[in-house]
Amino acid sequence: MSKFTDQEYLVVYADDDPDDLELLTESFRQFASHVRVEIFSDGASALSYLLNLSALEPAPCLIILDINMPRLDGKECLKKIRDADRLQDVPVVLFTTSISDRDKEFAARHNAGFITKPLSSSQMEIIIHELIGHCADDVRKIISR
Amino acid sequence: MTLETFLTLTEDEQLILLTEDGIYIGKRTDRLLPSILYQLDSFYVEIVYRKYRRYIWVINCSNSTAILDPYLDQVGSVIQVN
Repeated sequence: MSKFTDQEYLVVYADDDPDDLELLTESFRQFASHVRVEIFSDGASALSYLLNLSALEPAPCLIILDINMPRLDGKECLKKIRDADRLQDVPVVLFTTSISDRDKEFAARHNAGFITKPLSSSQMEIIIHELIGHCADDVRKIISR
Repeated sequence: MTLETFLTLTEDEQLILLTEDGIYIGKRTDRLLPSILYQLDSFYVEIVYRKYRRYIWVINCSNSTAILDPYLDQVGSVIQVN
């Protein structure tokens, strides 16, 4: 993994579908001058990475979680993120094919966003900006420059 | 929503409807073309991509459960979603 520099904001994305990982990583490339995306294929790996970030490294500006993943699913991962002092205020988005009201309510209860995966290029363009929209105002302004 | 009504919609309208109301069934890849299958009310919609979730090759719709056959190996995960 590359080292974090102060010009970069960190986005952490966990999804067990390699095509979705590639899709989102590719979509974030337009923000590459300000954003580094770290990808994980399950919630446990993502959580381990997050909990082991050194105190010298800034917390991520955004965490994106698929719901259905092996080892630790996105909802359990979100709960554990909210239990961690350093991560409890970090913006999290559940990024999913689910349209379940229960999943939407779960996300809201844990102060997380809920975005349905896109079906086309035009939807992806909208969604990438919705994802960035979950970042803090100052971060969003810099990333969107 | 019936299949007949769905077929009268534009592609953009169909995609919005699927995003908002479609139940994700599964995903497969055939001859390098990835596709995903949704259930919408009593019919099924399969989106075949040239590039996954980006560029659509064709949208297949059917009232028949036969469209499920290529996705059957994922039936165990139908109640789960990505």
